[in-house]
Amino acid sequence: MPFYLEIIISVSLLTGGVFLLVGSYGLVRLPDIYMRLHSPTKASTLGITGVLIASMFFQSHLKGFLSIQELLITLFLFITAPVAANMIAKTALHHSNKPAEKTQNQALMDTIRDRESPPSNSIK
Amino acid sequence: MLNITIIAVAICICIALILNLWRLLKGPTISDRILALDTMYINAIALILLYGIHARSSLYFEAAVLIAMLGFVSTAALCKYLLRGDIIE
Amino acid sequence: MNSLIWLPFLPLLGTLVPLLSAHLSRTACAFLTAALPALTLLLVLSHAGDIFQGERFHAVIPWIPAIGLDLAFRLDGLAMLFAILILGIGLLVILYARYYLSAKDSIGKFYAYLILFMFAMLGVVLSDNLIQLWFFWELTSISSFLLISFWGHKTEARKGARMALTVTGAGGLALLAGLLILGNTVGSFSLQDVLDNGDLIKASANYPIIVVLVLLGAFTKSAQFPFHFWLPNAMAAPTPVSAYLHSATMVKAGIFLMARFYPALADTNLWFLIVSLTGLITFLVGAYIALFQHDLKGLLANSTISHLGLITLLLGMGTDLAAVAAIFHIINHAIFKASLFMAAGIIDHESGSRDMRNLNGLWKYMPYTATLAMVASASMAGVPLMNGFLSKEMFFTETLHQASLGSLSWFIPVLATLGGVFAVAYSMRFIHDVFFNGEPINLPKTPHEPPRYMRVPVEILVAICLFVGIFPSLAVGDLLFAAANATLNGPAPDYSLAIWHGFNLPLVMSIIALIGGLLMYKNRAHLFKFQAQFPASDPKLVFESAIQWLTRQSQALIAWAENGSLQRYVFFVLAFAVVMTASSLLKLNTTAGQRPEIPLDALSITCAVLLCISALATVIWHRKRVVALITLSVVGLIVSLAFAKFSAPDLALTQLSVEVVTVILLILALFFLPQKTPKESSPRRIVRDLSLASLFGGIVGTISYALMTRPLDSISTFFTENSKTGGGGTNVVNVILVDFRGFDTLGEITVLGIAALGIYKLIARMRLFMPSADGNGLAWSEDRHPMLLKVISQSLLPLALLVSAYIFLRGHNMPGGGFIAGLVTSVAIIQQYIAHGVEWIKTRIKFDYQIMIGSGIGIATLSGLGSWVFGHTFLSSWFDYFYLPVIGKFELASAMIFDLGVFLTVVGATMLILANLGQLTTSERPTQQEHE
Repeated sequence: MPFYLEIIISVSLLTGGVFLLVGSYGLVRLPDIYMRLHSPTKASTLGITGVLIASMFFQSHLKGFLSIQELLITLFLFITAPVAANMIAKTALHHSNKPAEKTQNQALMDTIRDRESPPSNSIK
Repeated sequence: MLNITIIAVAICICIALILNLWRLLKGPTISDRILALDTMYINAIALILLYGIHARSSLYFEAAVLIAMLGFVSTAALCKYLLRGDIIE
Repeated sequence: MNSLIWLPFLPLLGTLVPLLSAHLSRTACAFLTAALPALTLLLVLSHAGDIFQGERFHAVIPWIPAIGLDLAFRLDGLAMLFAILILGIGLLVILYARYYLSAKDSIGKFYAYLILFMFAMLGVVLSDNLIQLWFFWELTSISSFLLISFWGHKTEARKGARMALTVTGAGGLALLAGLLILGNTVGSFSLQDVLDNGDLIKASANYPIIVVLVLLGAFTKSAQFPFHFWLPNAMAAPTPVSAYLHSATMVKAGIFLMARFYPALADTNLWFLIVSLTGLITFLVGAYIALFQHDLKGLLANSTISHLGLITLLLGMGTDLAAVAAIFHIINHAIFKASLFMAAGIIDHESGSRDMRNLNGLWKYMPYTATLAMVASASMAGVPLMNGFLSKEMFFTETLHQASLGSLSWFIPVLATLGGVFAVAYSMRFIHDVFFNGEPINLPKTPHEPPRYMRVPVEILVAICLFVGIFPSLAVGDLLFAAANATLNGPAPDYSLAIWHGFNLPLVMSIIALIGGLLMYKNRAHLFKFQAQFPASDPKLVFESAIQWLTRQSQALIAWAENGSLQRYVFFVLAFAVVMTASSLLKLNTTAGQRPEIPLDALSITCAVLLCISALATVIWHRKRVVALITLSVVGLIVSLAFAKFSAPDLALTQLSVEVVTVILLILALFFLPQKTPKESSPRRIVRDLSLASLFGGIVGTISYALMTRPLDSISTFFTENSKTGGGGTNVVNVILVDFRGFDTLGEITVLGIAALGIYKLIARMRLFMPSADGNGLAWSEDRHPMLLKVISQSLLPLALLVSAYIFLRGHNMPGGGFIAGLVTSVAIIQQYIAHGVEWIKTRIKFDYQIMIGSGIGIATLSGLGSWVFGHTFLSSWFDYFYLPVIGKFELASAMIFDLGVFLTVVGATMLILANLGQLTTSERPTQQEHE
């Protein structure tokens, strides 16, 4: 494996690894669910992307042609991660979980709790 | 160099997984636990891809895709249950 | 292959004849029914010449040679004797039944049962294999049950049939056990091998067990004391059945069994003691009871018991001559007793009663029948010039040469004479009470002679009685000699069948019996008075209460063991497994084997620790159901990571997809469970379950460790070597699933389909209570279908289907396949259900999941059948490589079509279950107000 490739893979791997760790660390350290929702986003975007880029380069080198399968995972995650976070946030609001003092826009919590979606005939 | 990097990143992911489980067990709310599980799925994807690099094999790629896809479904189903009780209505 | 094989199977074909010809006239039906048995009899007789020369015929059709199972038949002297009895008397009974049964009875059904019995009985006597013999033995019990209960509208017929089946069936089970031990002792289930290894069997430690078990079978079938009570109760059967089964054939099956195994099992003190004592007691008890019966058939039934006892006693005496006498008496008894039963049937039929207290003076009404009955009962009593006299004389002779009871041996001839006295007395009663002794009392109809042809069978049998009695060696000499040879598995001793042996002790015994019997009958009033002092006991009631007691005990046992508690079942299963495995593990000296261990790495340790913690958390939080579900998901995730690490990517994929489907299923079910989980287990039970679980976990862990550290020769090398060349795929797991063990997979998807349909039928139209708030009383959110989820899920569907197609297509060579692809597709569709709801989907996805399951299984089966077209075995896959411009080399395999079937079934089954579980709550949902 050429050295420059090794550098690229190592750097992106390390970047990914660090962001994954940071995301999970935040999950532990942040004070309430509303803030905690932020940290895994780092993991699912920057963290995974780092590892995926590394994997893409590596697999392309291994197979001898450009491996784009990894993009599929990125696509999945980029589409689903916000929805998952949205759903989790909705459950937290639904259960009226107590926010920490520092959490901002607490005034909005009551208005958005259990707010109904627009009528379904708007999307067909 | 790559081997050392892989070990370092593996350690990162291991710690991340332990932190996730910590949050999952500690809670305090059910939403925290679901979030922790969701993050765990992300870390598992990374772990599998890393293992693929380590083993110089592309056999593990599908498992990563499936976790990405199915993890979301499971998170969505759990949240829907908490919100509405009945997930298919 | 010789004609022997047709002997039992012609009657089997014959069971169809009466059913097909029942719509014709009764006479036509009877004649057609008789045709095949008559042909069979001719076939048997065609072998007679050779058999009399001492030959033996065998016929074998290999069935499952790998485990030594053949269809094996033999025809030797003993088998031929019985075959002639079965077929000959069977033909006469067919003729007799034509006139006996009334127009109301379904004659076709009756004949079908009768011929079925004939087939079973022929099977017993012709079998050359122990297991096969047992099979036919049980078939005789079943077909006799059908025959006894032919008049099923009568209580006593049903009860009698059940009793006969219970007693003979229980004996049959004992016999099976005995034959299995016997076969294992000899090392072969071939009858001839068993007969040739008599010394080996008698020397074996199993011998006493074998003898007791085999004799249990024989004694129950042949109504030996103390199992004799079923036979009088079986008299509720139509009289042709009694004449056939309960005099000539089925009750003789037990005797046949003893005669058949005579060379293998007899000739020991144990055998002598059991068989001769049982025979003697039965002989006396039967004769004594017979005298006091008022029912004509009851008298005959008990006299049958007595005569069977006599034959058993002879077989238990241990001399070759006694065995010859036994066989001779088998012939004679069958002939005179069948004719007596038929005569009793005629009397019953033409006078409407069987009660000897009412039947008197019938001589005036039916002199012809009376004459026939008199000759037959004279034979039963042992009057000279009748066949019964000859064999009874031989019997008396043998009792005199008996020494098995030591200095008490003189008891046997004395008791034998006493039995003879009773035999004369009850025979006398049969004649005198019925045909003379005043006038008939209150008979339902005026007695008269029966139709001409109803008498013919009796005439034939009585003629044989006289013929054998007067010219014994001419009549049965050869047959008896051949049968005796076969029974003894060697040359028969010298004996003489003459009527006159000079004035000797046996003759004196006969004279004593005759005179004593007449005197006893003359003074019967005293005897009856004496007998009346005993409290009346009905064996039927005793038997019934015994059965009821047994039923109650079984119910109590079942109620204790199977009380509906799943915990208890699991406890039993695990406890049993612990006992079974722990005992062998204790013998294992070292846990670790020779194989070097794979070095541990930090990643694996971390994952293992995570796995243990989340598994523990699941158990600890099992009452917080949602939390437990989340920790369970972690367990599943880590297990699939482990599969991936230890080179099982297929398993990892399967585990992942099954995991999600399970979680969805559980969430669906959670909604209907009580929102608060009560504490179910007492502290004591928790301790009990915890200790058992830890113990079991420890044992399984030990086994796994011990197994994994030892080199293991498994069949996996075969699969890895042949997967590419034989199945055309490099993914061994998939090739195993769709090719090597495709039949397994076909069975499994069929089960899956059936299970899904079963669940669907259970829950379709079911409406369950729906909580309007969660466990904490918080009302459900108003937002039914969050918009973000809806939009994104919809756009996710094509992506998911793409992944699914990809996994499906590469399955043959890389990790994947129809099963995983099916689950992925199901999950993708389920996601739409979650996001949009059932109503929305119903208008868009119009698959009928039931049809999907059906077509999946159909496609899989057809692809298997397809290999037949190309001359391969079922489900062997066909594959070839093709070259196309641009695309290049590619492979087509029939396994893919099979996999498509798997895919469709999995999608159909999963969706049918999940979507219908979801639909339980579709239409109206209670609001909080409605509940309050």
